[in-house]
Amino acid sequence: MTPITPTVTARTSSDSIYTPAISVRVLLFSVLRERLGTPEIEVQIDSGASTADLVRSLTEAYPEIRSYANVMRLAVNERYVDDVVELVDGDEVALITPVSGG
Amino acid sequence: MLEVREKEIWILLTDRELDTAAAADFLRDERAGGIDLFLGTTRRWTGDRETDELEYEAYGSMAIEEMRRLADIAFARWPLVSVVVHHRIGVVSATESSVIVGASSPHRSDAFEATRFLIDTLKENIPIWKRERFADGHTEWVENR
Repeated sequence: MTPITPTVTARTSSDSIYTPAISVRVLLFSVLRERLGTPEIEVQIDSGASTADLVRSLTEAYPEIRSYANVMRLAVNERYVDDVVELVDGDEVALITPVSGG
Repeated sequence: MLEVREKEIWILLTDRELDTAAAADFLRDERAGGIDLFLGTTRRWTGDRETDELEYEAYGSMAIEEMRRLADIAFARWPLVSVVVHHRIGVVSATESSVIVGASSPHRSDAFEATRFLIDTLKENIPIWKRERFADGHTEWVENR
């Protein structure tokens, strides 16, 4: 069976239909991967959208993500990002729920 | 399997059993007077809860980078000769090692301190998660909040 990657469309506050869309991959692990049933979500967002915009849209679309929003960290392209940053087309954003290695 | 192996740093993320002797041998060096190794193992009992196994999942490409970064920080803080950071993914049964970290240094106190730093910081930062499978069959993701 071919897995279907869910798609979420996230809007920034400008919400103009003429704003070019960019695509980011959201990676899920452990509890979020299990609860959403997928390791990855493809998200269309407005060009210029930030990590905060992305998280806001994800928490609206997925209650499972909302419950972890305050304790998860983000990684953009394999680096932790603890401040709000702007996203660009093709970015890989990982939702890092509380880790438990070791 | 993901790996970084250089003259003084050996980082490994693997689903195979970890090799303690290989890690120790990597750390041996004429410049070192002390080698410290920490093994993290699956513990069966926590209070009255019985664990059969832990299962580890990793964001592999980022984990290997973060493990390498940890080793670099350790080298910057202590006068070390070499460092290993090995983590296993997949199922790790009771008494088996999920992680081996270690360092060698001319004098033992630096190896002790660096090794403590490596495991403590790995547990806080590396994007690896474990799911606990209890003796009664149920499973639970461990969250170090």
